[in-house]
Amino acid sequence: MSTHLYAFGSVCRGEIDKSSDIDLLACLSEPNPGIEPCRFSIYSHERIRDLWSEGNPFAWHLHLESKLIYSSDGNDFISNLGQPTIYSKLIDDCEKFRSLFSESLGSLTTTSNSTTFDISCMFLATRNFATCYSLGLGVPIFSRYSPLMLDSQLPISKKEFDIYVRARILSTRGYGDPLSNNDVNSVKKSAYAIVEWMNELADTYLSSELRHE
Amino acid sequence: MSEFNNRISAQRDILYVVNSGQWVEELFGLSSGAIERWVGANKLGKSTDLVILINEAAGKLFFLSNKSQEQVTEEYKHLSADVAALTKKISQELECFVRRQNL
Repeated sequence: MSTHLYAFGSVCRGEIDKSSDIDLLACLSEPNPGIEPCRFSIYSHERIRDLWSEGNPFAWHLHLESKLIYSSDGNDFISNLGQPTIYSKLIDDCEKFRSLFSESLGSLTTTSNSTTFDISCMFLATRNFATCYSLGLGVPIFSRYSPLMLDSQLPISKKEFDIYVRARILSTRGYGDPLSNNDVNSVKKSAYAIVEWMNELADTYLSSELRHE
Repeated sequence: MSEFNNRISAQRDILYVVNSGQWVEELFGLSSGAIERWVGANKLGKSTDLVILINEAAGKLFFLSNKSQEQVTEEYKHLSADVAALTKKISQELECFVRRQNL
């Protein structure tokens, strides 16, 4: 049995703050019950190879931003896979994340409970949309601030975006100050600018694709 | 709807049910950190039936999440049905919990 452990994500970009944790990946040739699924994202070697041949964004993330921390056989499994297949699912993925954003915004505006979770999902949709878009353009950005780092930048301030980030950290780690009513109202105001931004980027990409055909 | 969005929707359904209760602080998500925080903020025992059911549902969704890239399999369908059944159980258990609190 071979085991390869990696760190990936913010720690590999040097993006460290109080809310950062260390993302860990275990690549295994066969199941290992000793590896704690709460601490590691666990993938079989076979599944990782599939992600590589699909050109999946996660494969690109690992290819560009992972560091080997342990190898049971002296090999660097991920490095040896080389570059993943070119990413080709941008249109489908953008649609998926636009839909997630709309559903979460709908929930936020029509129900009075689970607002932090809804805003956390809006963050996830926005960040993943921006990351997939950047990957589709060939300049991948995996940072949690990817929407603010694109050339076609998200038209809201970092201060406003940080409320979405806080919701995500509360939801995934249970860490941080709860959101206030002012925070939630700020999100309700900025959300429509995010919807328009997503629509514009998707339209721009589709138009450029049509021109190339 | 995509499998990814379905999983989030299943998580939201559970949170709606749990957060319909009167809590000092609502449950922010089904991660272990969020559940731990909610249990502490609301002074619940880790071994209360409600907390056990929420952890069970979170475990199943976490498993589905780890399988996020997989195609829909019989295993996935089975687990999705399990999560729906657990959501119902959580709703029933919450009613019992509230009744006990009001005694």
